Amino acid sequence: MQHQFSSPDGPIEVSLTRTDSGYALAGHSLEQTGDGRLKVHLSNGRVAYAHLAKVGDVWWVHLRGQTYRWERIEPGSSSSQHEGGLVAPMPGKVLEVLVKTGEEVQSGTPLMVLEAMKMEHRIVAAKDGVVTAVHFEAGDQVTQGAVLLELDE
Amino acid sequence: MISKVLVANRGEIACRILRACREAGIQTVAVCAPNDQGTLFTEMADELVVLNGDTIATTYLDQEQIIQAALSTGSDAIHPGFGFLSERAPFARSVKQSGIIWIGPSPEAIEQMGDKMTARQTMRNAGVPVIPGEEVESEDENEAMDALLSASERVGYPLLLKASSGGGGKGMRAVYDPADFLQSAEGARREALAAFGDGRIYIERLLNGSKHIEIQVLADRHGRTIHLGERECSVQRRHQKVFEEAPGPTMTPELRESMGQAAIQAAQAVSYEGAGTVEFLLAPTGEFFFLEMNTRIQVEHPVTELVTGTDIVREQLRIASGQPMSCGDLNIRGHAIEVRLYAEDAANNFLPSIGPLAVFRPPEGPGIRLDTGVREGDDVTPNYDPMLAKLIVWAPSRDEALQRMRRALDDFVILGTTTNVRFLRELCDAQPIVDGTTTTTTIDDHWPNGWKPIAVPLLEDASLLAAAAGETMGLHRTFTARSDGESQGLPSPFSTLSRRYP
Repeated sequence: MQHQFSSPDGPIEVSLTRTDSGYALAGHSLEQTGDGRLKVHLSNGRVAYAHLAKVGDVWWVHLRGQTYRWERIEPGSSSSQHEGGLVAPMPGKVLEVLVKTGEEVQSGTPLMVLEAMKMEHRIVAAKDGVVTAVHFEAGDQVTQGAVLLELDE
Repeated sequence: MISKVLVANRGEIACRILRACREAGIQTVAVCAPNDQGTLFTEMADELVVLNGDTIATTYLDQEQIIQAALSTGSDAIHPGFGFLSERAPFARSVKQSGIIWIGPSPEAIEQMGDKMTARQTMRNAGVPVIPGEEVESEDENEAMDALLSASERVGYPLLLKASSGGGGKGMRAVYDPADFLQSAEGARREALAAFGDGRIYIERLLNGSKHIEIQVLADRHGRTIHLGERECSVQRRHQKVFEEAPGPTMTPELRESMGQAAIQAAQAVSYEGAGTVEFLLAPTGEFFFLEMNTRIQVEHPVTELVTGTDIVREQLRIASGQPMSCGDLNIRGHAIEVRLYAEDAANNFLPSIGPLAVFRPPEGPGIRLDTGVREGDDVTPNYDPMLAKLIVWAPSRDEALQRMRRALDDFVILGTTTNVRFLRELCDAQPIVDGTTTTTTIDDHWPNGWKPIAVPLLEDASLLAAAAGETMGLHRTFTARSDGESQGLPSPFSTLSRRYP
């Protein structure tokens, strides 16, 4: 259960541990309540209730008077299957290509917008680099795992 | 008697007035710009007139259209709220000439108080202390500059340049060094001319370390002009108040009485009718000086209502319909605090923010009042002022009120749009707030490099767990945005709302 979120200090990799009733991370654990909140057992032994909402790519979390925003980095934006290439996470249609070959991009730059299952999906750069190839244009159909663009560091 | 009120305003204050009318058994008409359709206040009125236009000038500031709306709906009174047309004397005059009751003071009173230089002279003549300074009436630029320069020597430094037609900090300059005077004066004049079409400037001594104290007054046609005590509103960011309280933490009964009497004199000097607020600066020396009079209902009126047991808007309706006000003798009970909830990024120089109110869960419990213009599911758009709501608490003592405010702010859940809730919460812990020693520069003094939230690594980690678990469990909430995406061609932040990701 891996997720990546962006932070001012760069991407944060989160690996959740499955527990009997929910998930755990860094000494904290949580379980679902009936009303959409999450019951969080903090590492200091206390309990807090988290309110959640997802707007676009951003998870908003309210916990004990603090509000946090965590922008999720899409799984398609980095790939272990194809070195330097960005692959389609699902079959779909290319809606928009946001970069050109030779363009320098920074980590988090949106590169392409895909539509799949009536949902839009943004492909973002996971690291700084130069776009070395764009394999599709707007309107093209892509299959799952297709290499969409290539990025060199 | 008034039977049907048109509310010429929007958002939070429109809601406040519409509710008061309904409680009084008065029919209501709301007017709204096309891009406000479906917002909270438009649903509260018995009738709604959608104004024709796509800017503020052609909707909420369109005097003719609003009077037409009142006539066509058979409204016999107009309540202007605050901002917009509330302090435009020509509008008040046209309303009256159309045979409609104006819920506010006479156009003459609005004029006399609206021009700051005239107001200073009127107050001086009425024996109300004004901030030491000089007015320069000359319209000619060179003449005005010469007169201002010589006046500056008599007033002394540091000083404040202010525009006679000013407000909201426009045309205002603080000058600490005589060498900077001419440049500042020219800048203030230019700014005032551009903003108000009136470049007249006056000089006041700059009273640093002062408190902003204002007195609520009420006057009816039956010979009564009373004050409802003070509010302290010193705490400001960008010349706008964010934290207000009543009574003032350093107020004494003697000072309240003398400021109250000065406020009554000010109101009587312009034959005031209805609800108004006389603002004063209270210098560290204990002297107080007239600043200006706001000839309308004020944003922070609820704190006065809570400690005096008054419904000021209801009194406005009563007074405008010719009835005597219902207030008895002034009796201040307990302590009330209001904070203004803004859609803004307090950590980024209080820049306004937009977005959906995906979750909006206000606090509950004893002594808590929320005056809101929004509800869960609404969109915060860039079209209007970013004030969303006012959170007001009451408790028997100031300490308890502050504790209640901290608790209420901690319980306030707003997700989807960046707000100043956390800033307000940390403000409640700032030493000058705790001690009641706030001045008009408290925020800048306390956070000289701007505010940044205090990091809480424990909760930050736990929130990351919650976000990741939410993603894994698929706890997506689906938000359907009401905005049709055509609001002035701006990129709509809501078009992404129904996106789901695997």
